Amino acid sequence: MNFGFIVQSLPLYWKAAQLTLTISVWAIALSLLVGFLCSLAIYYRVRVLKSIVKVYIEFSRNTPSLIQLFFLYYGLTQIGLKLEAELCAVAGLTFLGGSYMAEAFRSGLEAVGKTQIESGLSIGLSRAQLVRYVIFPQAFSVSMPALEANAIFLMKETSIVSAVALPDLMFVAKDLIGMYYSTTEALTLLVLFYLLLLLPVSLLLSALERKVRYGQFGN
Amino acid sequence: MKKTGRILAAMLAVVLALGTFAGCSQQGTQKSSLETIKQNGKIKVGVFSDKPPFGYVDAQGKNQGFDVYIAKRFAKDLLGDENKVEFVLVEAASRVEYLQSGKVDLIMANFTVTDERKEKVDFANPYMKVALGVVSPDGSQITDVSQLKGKKLIVNKGTTAETYFTKNYPDIELLKYDQNTEAFQALKDGRGAALAHDNTLLFAWARENSGYTVGVSSLGEQDTIAPAVKKGDKELLDWVNNELTALGKENFIHEAYDATLKPAYGDSISADDVVIEGGKIQ
Repeated sequence: MNFGFIVQSLPLYWKAAQLTLTISVWAIALSLLVGFLCSLAIYYRVRVLKSIVKVYIEFSRNTPSLIQLFFLYYGLTQIGLKLEAELCAVAGLTFLGGSYMAEAFRSGLEAVGKTQIESGLSIGLSRAQLVRYVIFPQAFSVSMPALEANAIFLMKETSIVSAVALPDLMFVAKDLIGMYYSTTEALTLLVLFYLLLLLPVSLLLSALERKVRYGQFGN
Repeated sequence: MKKTGRILAAMLAVVLALGTFAGCSQQGTQKSSLETIKQNGKIKVGVFSDKPPFGYVDAQGKNQGFDVYIAKRFAKDLLGDENKVEFVLVEAASRVEYLQSGKVDLIMANFTVTDERKEKVDFANPYMKVALGVVSPDGSQITDVSQLKGKKLIVNKGTTAETYFTKNYPDIELLKYDQNTEAFQALKDGRGAALAHDNTLLFAWARENSGYTVGVSSLGEQDTIAPAVKKGDKELLDWVNNELTALGKENFIHEAYDATLKPAYGDSISADDVVIEGGKIQ
């Protein structure tokens, strides 16, 4: 291990970690939004939209994310649409994450028992109140672990964006290996930085889970 | 939080330990490499899949190109059959690792000899000359490196072009790709003003792709390209050097040039601009 090299490359990794984090935050936030809307379309059986969402989910989950990214970055230019690499990265990861998030939300929504809804209606709750006080709290409580797993999955999945020349963590590691051949150091730093990014997120999400699932955990 | 701290510390320890192990394993002693190759009945050679006309995969899925042509001859002279070679496709940035981790016996992936690389692998005598070049679209041709200031220059990770520009022109923004195909596609899509790579590759590419010209045809020092073996593998290294000397007597590298590079270059370049015969620059 060459510690001089490690110290020297720290600033590069630090900058890359920021890019990885930025792309992750955008991708996770947008995936949650897309996933939530898609799950509602399925749950409420919105005509036409429901079928479109189902096709999207299957398409997104059954194609490799790297191919999706390549399609956005290299494929769309063939029809004259040149998107910036950052946009491709966020759009690609959202396309991927949206379907996973949709399924996570749906599992929660469908776990809410019919008796719960009927009980709510029988005590005179309006549709909005039913959603706000009966369906959503229980649905989120069930969805939470899956949503967390998806968020972490998406953060790790950002490692593919180096393929479109975005200087994220993976990119920097491969670049340093290619230029200085310090494979061991570069890869060790890579693992450490991913841990550094992901562990706090993982812990934070666990804490959040306890909060959201007060029904299960107690206050 | 105390528990968290302990988990963190444990993870750190594991990662560092793994790193140290990986570091150690590289110093393992070499068994007789020629024996092993002969025992296996094939030599594993790392070549490019996307650098025509030097190393590429043709429509039938067969490895072709200048490097491949020479590697096949090596196999023929070492093992008696030019098919007793297993081609392993490598990326520019991973060539050193493939040797270090023993995944290939020999790298013939258009590997330019540099001081940094010499510290990690052993180069045999050269078989080719190369310099850097810059290719750009005809409409906005780059004829001098100074024109690149404030623009994006496309390079391939782990190539001499990347190292050269990182060292000598730190203020030119580099757009770095893993594969040649991706880098050239990015140039075609207009993601950068120009692309820097080995001039030998660029001449061939610009001939194939109208609308692009190698505006800067020679940059930096004249370098050489040579086969590389794992550090310390003297046996295979000596064999390759002797082989190159022997091949020089029959002008074999020129034959390889005529078979693979001439169709790509036409008469724009003469063989002696590129080829090194017998492992020595004449």
